[in-house]
Amino acid sequence: MNELMAARSLTTRPVVTLGGDAVAHVKDTVCDAAAGRITGFTLTGRGLLSGPLKEGLPWQAVHALGHDAVMIRDRRGLVNAAAMTAHRQSLRARLLGARVLTEAGTEIGTVLDVVVEGGTGGRVVGFRVAASRRFVPGPTRHRRRVYVPRGESLTVTGRALVLPEDAVRHVADDLPGFTALVGGVPGPWKGSLP
Amino acid sequence: MLFTEVRGLPVLVPDGGGPLGTVTSLTVDALSGSVSHVRFRAGRFGREKEVSWDTVETVGPGAVRLRSATAPEPAPSSHHELLGRRVLVDTGTEHGTVLDVAFDTRTARLLALFTTRGELPAGRLLGLGDYALVVREG
Repeated sequence: MNELMAARSLTTRPVVTLGGDAVAHVKDTVCDAAAGRITGFTLTGRGLLSGPLKEGLPWQAVHALGHDAVMIRDRRGLVNAAAMTAHRQSLRARLLGARVLTEAGTEIGTVLDVVVEGGTGGRVVGFRVAASRRFVPGPTRHRRRVYVPRGESLTVTGRALVLPEDAVRHVADDLPGFTALVGGVPGPWKGSLP
Repeated sequence: MLFTEVRGLPVLVPDGGGPLGTVTSLTVDALSGSVSHVRFRAGRFGREKEVSWDTVETVGPGAVRLRSATAPEPAPSSHHELLGRRVLVDTGTEHGTVLDVAFDTRTARLLALFTTRGELPAGRLLGLGDYALVVREG
């Protein structure tokens, strides 16, 4: 299984061609409406004072999403950013802060971050959630953050993510634990999403 | 021979006279995996010039000797220095920086790259740009 990374950590990661030239930095991640996979990235220029770029990076142009850089084949893979984000949602715009519920209606918490798989797949694997007090009991001052796997059948309704009941049976406290949890569960996790 | 051994050698022409300058660096063509130009500088404040590898007769020992009738051109600024450059595997993970490069002085082909994270065969080179040297995953 490829390395898992938090989508927020992708911001400012350089976009580098296979020829070794840095083209831009990642500004934000764009994923599809079902929050199932990454569809692309919005970009910022490389200079200190350069603002957001008009071009975006679609996932088809990505060679590999790595720990230190997003590798692309060449500069021609970039497309108009407005066309890319028209029907999709950037993470910051919709997913962050969304409520997470189970099908039975139990409130899990709110999304702090989205965990994606590196490499060539671009899957959304889970969410980092600020757990609600009912879901993870504990002292009020110390709110727990847990990693919740995405599960197979997630539905996005407005600003809420509805997970199947068994998806939240196991949660992890940190990213290494989450990697073990997601990698160790047999069945649907082994293959990629359809 | 190593890049660090070539750096600092005098550049000589066969018809005598003083050296044209001392070698500052070697330009590498990442696609073919070979040295394409030799860059040198006359004195500390001279402009950097370059000659194509085709005009080089021999490299070492002690000097870089050119064939006769070579006119060095002012070096273009698009040169990417290999030594000290960041190494990126094409999966997007860093692999240290380049410490030294071994190359064949007759064919100009690169033989191996020595990085802070170990040795890499020159066949894995993919590209050399302004940000990093990209190598294929082993």
